[in-house]
Amino acid sequence: MHSEKLIYWFDELGREHNGIVGKKCANLGEMVRMGLAVPPGFAIPIDMYRKFIKETGAKDEMSSYIKEFDETKDAGIQFFNEMSENLRGAIEKKEMLPSTRECITAYYTELCNKTGTENVAVSVRSAGTESRPGMFETYLNVSGIEEILVKIKKVWTSAFTPRAIAFRVNKGLAILEDELGVAVQKMLNARASGIAFTVNPVDGDASKITIEANWGLGEGVVSGEVSVDTFQVDKNTLELASKHTGNKRRGVFYTETGADWADVPAKKRRIPCIRDEEAVEIARVAKSVEETLEAPQDMEWAIDQDIDFPGNIFWLQTRPAKVAVKKVESASNHIADLLAKKFRGF
Amino acid sequence: MKEETKGEVKLWDAVPGYDFNEKIDVPEMRSYFHDGVHSVPRLTPMYSWFYGRANPVGSQYASETLSIPTCKGWSQKIKDGSTYVAMHIIQDKEEIDRRTAKFKEALIPWVEDFDGLWEGYKKELLGLYDNLKSLDLEKATNIDLLHHLWDMISTYRRMWEIHFLGMYTSMSALALIEEQVASFGLTSESPEFQNMFRGFDNKVFQVDKQMSEFAKAAVKSGLSDLFKDNKPEDVLSKLEESDAGRKWKKDFHEFLQEEGWRMVRMMDFNEPYWLEEPSAAISVIQTFVGKGADFDLDKVRSELIKGREKAIAELLQKVPGEEREWLRALINLGGKAGSYSEEHDLYCELYSHALIRRGLLGIGRRLVQAGTIDRPDDTLFLNPDEIEQVMLAPEFHKLQYIANRRRADWEQLRFKETPPVFTERADMNEAVGKDLLPSGDVIIIKLVVGEMPKAKPELKADIYGVCGAPGVAEGTARVIFTYEQLHEVQPGEILVCPGTNPAWTPIFGVVKGVVADRGGTLSHTAIVGREYQVPTIVNCFEGTEKIKTGMKIRVDATQGAIYILD
Repeated sequence: MHSEKLIYWFDELGREHNGIVGKKCANLGEMVRMGLAVPPGFAIPIDMYRKFIKETGAKDEMSSYIKEFDETKDAGIQFFNEMSENLRGAIEKKEMLPSTRECITAYYTELCNKTGTENVAVSVRSAGTESRPGMFETYLNVSGIEEILVKIKKVWTSAFTPRAIAFRVNKGLAILEDELGVAVQKMLNARASGIAFTVNPVDGDASKITIEANWGLGEGVVSGEVSVDTFQVDKNTLELASKHTGNKRRGVFYTETGADWADVPAKKRRIPCIRDEEAVEIARVAKSVEETLEAPQDMEWAIDQDIDFPGNIFWLQTRPAKVAVKKVESASNHIADLLAKKFRGF
Repeated sequence: MKEETKGEVKLWDAVPGYDFNEKIDVPEMRSYFHDGVHSVPRLTPMYSWFYGRANPVGSQYASETLSIPTCKGWSQKIKDGSTYVAMHIIQDKEEIDRRTAKFKEALIPWVEDFDGLWEGYKKELLGLYDNLKSLDLEKATNIDLLHHLWDMISTYRRMWEIHFLGMYTSMSALALIEEQVASFGLTSESPEFQNMFRGFDNKVFQVDKQMSEFAKAAVKSGLSDLFKDNKPEDVLSKLEESDAGRKWKKDFHEFLQEEGWRMVRMMDFNEPYWLEEPSAAISVIQTFVGKGADFDLDKVRSELIKGREKAIAELLQKVPGEEREWLRALINLGGKAGSYSEEHDLYCELYSHALIRRGLLGIGRRLVQAGTIDRPDDTLFLNPDEIEQVMLAPEFHKLQYIANRRRADWEQLRFKETPPVFTERADMNEAVGKDLLPSGDVIIIKLVVGEMPKAKPELKADIYGVCGAPGVAEGTARVIFTYEQLHEVQPGEILVCPGTNPAWTPIFGVVKGVVADRGGTLSHTAIVGREYQVPTIVNCFEGTEKIKTGMKIRVDATQGAIYILD
């Protein structure tokens, strides 16, 4: 049907595809390979974006626009706003290429068939080759091919928000860098979502797995804005070591055409959003991923309310735990370290 | 030779290969720093031979074993009985990185179990010493004596290796604590800081305590006048005149069999050890008797321990929870390190030097019998190669021409000044900045060469030094160069000296203040000054030169300033 592979299912991908489909997609593929339950979906490679801006002429427009500026180093916010408007405009006003539209439609139709749902709701997320947490757009609960195509274009243009441009300028990167792949993934009917750290993000304790959870979608936990439920599971015995029920006043839930923050009903605020056995199962999987990847992990999970335990736990992301947290080391190690520094500091 | 050196005869022809040659050595290493802490007064030729060779190699051995990141120990040269050191500073960053990784690994056992490791090395040393002691020097054959000479040399080499393993680890820990505690608002000169490291038990304290008990026993037995009224050398014969005296002397002699392997001058072979000349130990007893029987070292110690625990608890209160564990471990290590800095001298230098003096005098007596030399201690003016040549057939040889010449030269030069540095750099400060500090070598920086004093013209002081222990003292100066003169010091005087060593420690309980020409903030003088809370200034360079006995002086140790009031 196609002379070259344009779109990939997640289960066709692995770490080696990072440069083709972006990190997020490659990682989802890697997670499938490890045997994790990952909601199905497909990856739109970066080349599809490149082809789009080239063949629609958007690339030439953008290039000639930015040629006018040779000195951007000390530019102010006004400058970035204006540049953003121009670059995004160049992309947004172009129609999707017919061949691209056809190709994406085919995969979406197949996803609907696979999941047995007409116009299945998906998330549309950016997938760059470099990790830029929180910089580019994510669209949740998107249904129907027309909406999906719009959102894919919006993800592409999110590389040119004033903030993203300013970031690259300050880092000395090219303004037109950060070409993005896109992950299109089935949305879960999530009862609760959260994070699992295989090393405690606060004190670096590697003997327990820490789980944070909130009602609804994962964005309600990741933002760190609300009080959430916290579980700690002993990594060796996989027994629940501690449990704290937060006052979960708000969470992120589906709206008709997307997802947004909303109040949690009063009676649900002070009850745990996951069961103990679910916490332990999350910890068990997190531990095995840490062992496979031989590094502490920071993982996102969600519990689908339409499926029975333990098949209801799905994984959306795993990445090396940024131990912004210092590793807990023995006192003598620390002292040896200081002594070494002392010698070198004279 | 006299012609070649314009009339100046070199003592160091005793130590081939280690003689300082300014034209060659300075361009090679850029700066050679005088070790005023260990070679004032100037060293005898035999001691120069032992120390000049084994000490730098010991520093290199420990630097390599511990993989000290920035330095491979030092090179040492001898100039007319004065020693000079130059640091082997590592310049290559990659090499420093490689060594740093290994260094951390090598250090962890010391951080975790300093006492345990030191115990092991102590045993090894005592084993080597027992081997030396086991030879009856008078019954030994000439072959035995020659082998004994070799045993002394290898024992001495090993002693310096062990010495520096302990020194690098302990001194670095002390320096680190000074630095770390500063971030919690304590300076190393504050009493709160110093209280944290007082009152640790160690061999020096134990021996001091036994000595004070002998003093108490003497007072109880009605012997205090005997001790107060007689010179140290007469005390022993006077003790024979009464039952109480004889009993005391017998007990004391037994004590010396165990603890008398202790030189009165740490860094040479030319002065006796206690067991050889008990009068040297008697003067310490006299000091304690002078303080009266109520002087209670145990009480002092238990107060120090209470103060220490309080100071540590107060500091840890100020520290965030997650920092407490390692800081507590570091303070604990610092206490061990402080203890080692005092105790190692007993097991390393003082003990080995006593045994080598014993051996050299034994060999000397044999050579006198054969007519090879005139006095047993003429061996201190030979070197082992010269002894080896004659040892198995001494009656065929005369070595007076060497020994007598070197002795005469040594006596003439003994107390003469020598330059603090030989360098290509513009001055001492530049030399210290470029050829010393980058080594990171705590021993040389904070102990041997010491920190440089800063002149503070606004204080209008006569001499500037470095604060070893804070406080202000005013009194009569007593200038002392050797241990033999130490009994001249009167209570309440201010001691002015080249530097101190553990044999001098009891004098800190007698004087009001201490001024030392050389030594850094981790030198014996500074550490003991803090332990005894005596205002102490180190590294003032010209104290013994400018201050005369009897002058009234004021020592503002906190400011590092000395005023001559006359």
